[in-house]
Amino acid sequence: MNGLKTSALALGFAAGFASFGTDAAAQDCTTKIGAVLPTSVDWGKPIAATAQYAVDIANEAGGVAGCQMEMVLRDTQVDPKVGVDAAKALVDLDGVQLLLGAVSSGVSMPILTSVTVPAGVMQMSCCSSSTAFTRLAEEGKTNGLFYRTFATSGVQAAVGAMVARDAGYKSVAVFYKNDDWGQDIGGLVADDLKALGIDVTATIAINDGQASFRAEVTEALKGNPEAIYMALYPKEGTQVVREWISLGGSQNMIAANALKSDEFRDNVGMQFLGNFTGTDTASPRTESADAFVTAYTAKFDGPPNGPGLANSYDATMIALMAMHAAGKDATGADIAAKVASITDSNGTPVTADAAGFSMAKEVLDGGGTVSYQGATGNVQFDKNGDVSAPAVTWTFSEGGIEEQKYISLTEVNDFMASLN
Amino acid sequence: MIGVISYLVFFATVASILSIAVLGLNLQWGNTGLFNGGVVAFFGAGAYGTLILGGTPQAGQLGGFGLPYLLALIGGMVCAGGVAWIVGLLTIRLRHDYLAIATFGVAVAFETMMRNTNALGGAQGIRGFERPLREALGAGFTYNLVFFGFVLILLIATYLFLERLIKSPFGRLLRAIREDEMAAQSLGKSPSRIRLTSFVAGSVVMGLAGGLYATFYAFISPQDVLPILTFQIWAMLIVGGAGNNKGAVMGTFLIWAAWTASGWALSRFAPLEVQLYTGSIQFVLIGFVIVGMLLWRPQGIFPERLVVSQSARSNK
Repeated sequence: MNGLKTSALALGFAAGFASFGTDAAAQDCTTKIGAVLPTSVDWGKPIAATAQYAVDIANEAGGVAGCQMEMVLRDTQVDPKVGVDAAKALVDLDGVQLLLGAVSSGVSMPILTSVTVPAGVMQMSCCSSSTAFTRLAEEGKTNGLFYRTFATSGVQAAVGAMVARDAGYKSVAVFYKNDDWGQDIGGLVADDLKALGIDVTATIAINDGQASFRAEVTEALKGNPEAIYMALYPKEGTQVVREWISLGGSQNMIAANALKSDEFRDNVGMQFLGNFTGTDTASPRTESADAFVTAYTAKFDGPPNGPGLANSYDATMIALMAMHAAGKDATGADIAAKVASITDSNGTPVTADAAGFSMAKEVLDGGGTVSYQGATGNVQFDKNGDVSAPAVTWTFSEGGIEEQKYISLTEVNDFMASLN
Repeated sequence: MIGVISYLVFFATVASILSIAVLGLNLQWGNTGLFNGGVVAFFGAGAYGTLILGGTPQAGQLGGFGLPYLLALIGGMVCAGGVAWIVGLLTIRLRHDYLAIATFGVAVAFETMMRNTNALGGAQGIRGFERPLREALGAGFTYNLVFFGFVLILLIATYLFLERLIKSPFGRLLRAIREDEMAAQSLGKSPSRIRLTSFVAGSVVMGLAGGLYATFYAFISPQDVLPILTFQIWAMLIVGGAGNNKGAVMGTFLIWAAWTASGWALSRFAPLEVQLYTGSIQFVLIGFVIVGMLLWRPQGIFPERLVVSQSARSNK
């Protein structure tokens, strides 16, 4: 008798729980999104943590399209095979329509060509900078599914060319470091200079670890350029500049951000760097960027100093807002098509926090568009899914490195548009 | 359900491609005793060769010859064989660890060269051709299924070819050289020539795997040919059982399954705070599997079957 009573009670409880369970499930469904990031690398962990932070904020604001979001995170180990497999598993097994990642271009690219584009899943990378994505998009092979929130090397190259134009140089020789970054930026700056009508007398690759760069420098001297552009690191940069000046080269120099070091200034000597101008991309001077730094510092007990953190945050936020705009059960293509209504410069400005997310949802539900004011500023994608960034120019002085001029995002965009 | 099948097909394709490379290494190490520490160089030569020969032209890059796919794949194998022949001529007199270090150096040099040569894609890598027959089959599941069939046929063909090869008198000669080079020489054989033949043949097989890999991903970059791949392929052979082709294939499927399933399981079942460390945990788990294997079953899951000689067996 007693046993029967207990079982009846238990049954009753079970039934109660079961009905409670179905009620809860009906109210908050869960939508999965995928993230493939190199969490086994030290600098990859914070990028993933930041993406998760953005997802948490979206959930705090009531989720996306009526559902709570769950980010399934997979490690790429910076290995293309592992990354592609993880992406494929997320798409096939978890059925995600949105994939965040990866960091390295060499991992993002095979994921794009062999997983996301064939499956029609939207891919949003925080940190891949290679211009190969732009070319792929230009050929129409990304189906508009790829976006990234990391500015390409194009920004610095364009600003370098802008400096040359403003200084009135008629001819420039380009030195670039022979790696993916240097090859990319060296080629771009040469094209930009030519577009401005400045003569490029030579573009010369610098392989690091050589005892002397006399041969390369001599070759550059032949064209007798008015100035040189350098996409080099301090070690080989110092050597190239020393030999360049000792052989009678011009002291008019422009350089990319990699030479922004006191070591370079001290080893070359201030007396030779009077006409030196450097370029760099800058974090935007906007309230939204400062707000992100404050919120991040409060959450993680430290400022967002690693690479790609602000980009990772914006990538996630924009993707989630687009997902909301596309509605429940949207496909990757639907979501990708809605990105434009999140980053519409004529839309209602929304901030990058829970309040902003709620406001964006309201506006989007009403059929409007929003202008997302993110951690990297007022993000705007071009037709290839690329973004640009504000820039600064800087010079060396006795005291250290001094900023010369801040070039806002609008100015950078306008200038880059004028080059094409 | 279709998702699970789709993923399994994808997984099996990658594992089959890697199996081919492991079979190539098995010919070199398992049967001839050549410690090839530069598997990626030959894998990479096949991959780059295939994409350059079969790809569409791209600004500033060598290649884009647009050859028919099968011709490009064979071209990739020839590239791998060519690289192996040159490397082999220079290093084949080296034994064991010396050969391992020399070939490891070759692999690193190969990666550096690809990274620095703009005409070969530079650090950004080479984007491939449209996958063959894509027009007819679409981009989705059907395509992957057909491609898997193609890879599987090549895997079986490679397997049967190598099985025959090692059962033949030539195969016995390979093992004779592996066990005692001096003795083989005293019987009038030329160990260095045979070692070179085996080295080139194994590398051509790796080149085939590389070509298939690049076709499947439609992309290859220096990041695909880092030393980690050599390590993975070696781990597959050691776990499966060096000297046994069945072991080589099984080892590949097992290790690659462990590699991917551990990542999947951790992402699904590990608590949220641990999520960020799953990558590192995965490395530890896989390390355990390999070390455990070496401690308790160093001959691998499928040990080599030692046959004194075929005629001796048939007389039994």
